[in-house]
Amino acid sequence: MIWSKKDCSLPARVSDTVPQRLSTLPLRSPVNVTWEITEACNLDCAHCLSAELRAAGHGELDLVECRSLLDELARMQVFQVNFGGGEPFLRADFLDILRYAHRLGITTCVSTNGTMLDDGLVDALLDIAPVYLQVSLDGAKPETNDAIRGTGTFERILAGIEILACRHYPDFSLNMVVTRLNVTEISAFDALARRYGAKTRLSRFRPSGGGCHTWEDYRLTREQLAELSAFLGDHPEILTGDSFFALTPDSRRNLGLNMCGAAKMTCAVAPDGGVYPCAFLADPAFLAGTVVEERLGDIFRASPVFAGFRDLEVEACRGCGRFSICNGGCPAVGYFLTESMGLPDPECLRAVETAREVA
Amino acid sequence: MGMSRPAYLVPDHVRVRQEDFGLLFYDTQSTRLTFVRSGDRLVPPPFIGLRRALAMTAGAQPDAALSRVLDDLVEKGLLVACPGE
Repeated sequence: MIWSKKDCSLPARVSDTVPQRLSTLPLRSPVNVTWEITEACNLDCAHCLSAELRAAGHGELDLVECRSLLDELARMQVFQVNFGGGEPFLRADFLDILRYAHRLGITTCVSTNGTMLDDGLVDALLDIAPVYLQVSLDGAKPETNDAIRGTGTFERILAGIEILACRHYPDFSLNMVVTRLNVTEISAFDALARRYGAKTRLSRFRPSGGGCHTWEDYRLTREQLAELSAFLGDHPEILTGDSFFALTPDSRRNLGLNMCGAAKMTCAVAPDGGVYPCAFLADPAFLAGTVVEERLGDIFRASPVFAGFRDLEVEACRGCGRFSICNGGCPAVGYFLTESMGLPDPECLRAVETAREVA
Repeated sequence: MGMSRPAYLVPDHVRVRQEDFGLLFYDTQSTRLTFVRSGDRLVPPPFIGLRRALAMTAGAQPDAALSRVLDDLVEKGLLVACPGE
């Protein structure tokens, strides 16, 4: 899962009780669903995944529709919903939605910018527990974070994190989308997270949504990608939500799915109910249906968009020794850079290593 | 008189559902997935609720392989073995 800030969509660990990877077989329902619950946001981050959806202003599901979707998710036996936005806590009925999900036995994770966290909200979340929280912070220094998320946001976000730490909130992580601006601060970011009793989560920057406008300025160089790969190999405790499955070394092979789970293990629901293979592919070309008109289970099972996605093969990668690990990497990155599907992930470890050898 | 088989209960923090290959377990505390190749021999209990017991399909007999799988799931905390009644 899980997903620049959405990357908590994929489970932390996967294991088979038999050698063959059952995790590659088709599932009857997604394991988790990323749900952008609102378009509203009080920040204007330069790499916002949802910037274009927000700009389109299609509106959002009302509480009755949200409960109906949760009923459907429970019927499908979806294990986990990862809420994002926008900023979910700006939605007045969001706690009602969380409570309803938990009543149905669905585990929840919320991706938040942290600025709405106060004592009352944290108490309410502790009451619903466990609600996994993922707080976005894009640097270990104010000037780094604020260049991406807006002036003064570092202090505002940290104020929310301090409340979580003071309340000993049990299940939260600090999430940094790794860009050229903050890649040198990863160790300091990890130390900052530990200081507050949080886990560190690193997410991949992709050219989706607002990221397509900042791609050239923010994307990592090949050297930085190689260094990041080595760093992740040395730090298995750092969460990545499978953001970097195309990049991480074999030593992290058992730490996650190491595959694109779009339309297979996960899918995404937009604020207006539109359904997409994943949050990074919330593009009109990949709209599989809408939960306002159809049941999510029917869309997941029968959508031609999803069927096409499941059959997608990256032919150019078949001869690669890492193909069994990454299956060609993240299709979203290739798509938004070339407007074509089925091309290799341009930031895969093999591409990075080859470029370094040539240099 | 032979020993009766233990019953296997699914703890509150674990969800399990049927897939074509068998059962898919999800631990809400670790968010870890466990895939189990059991075909249709094991029947998952309701998604949530108290004293959810894993059942065996009518007529199915636990062989050594299935017993090992069940023991492994108990070891992982995904099932609790209760003495047979």
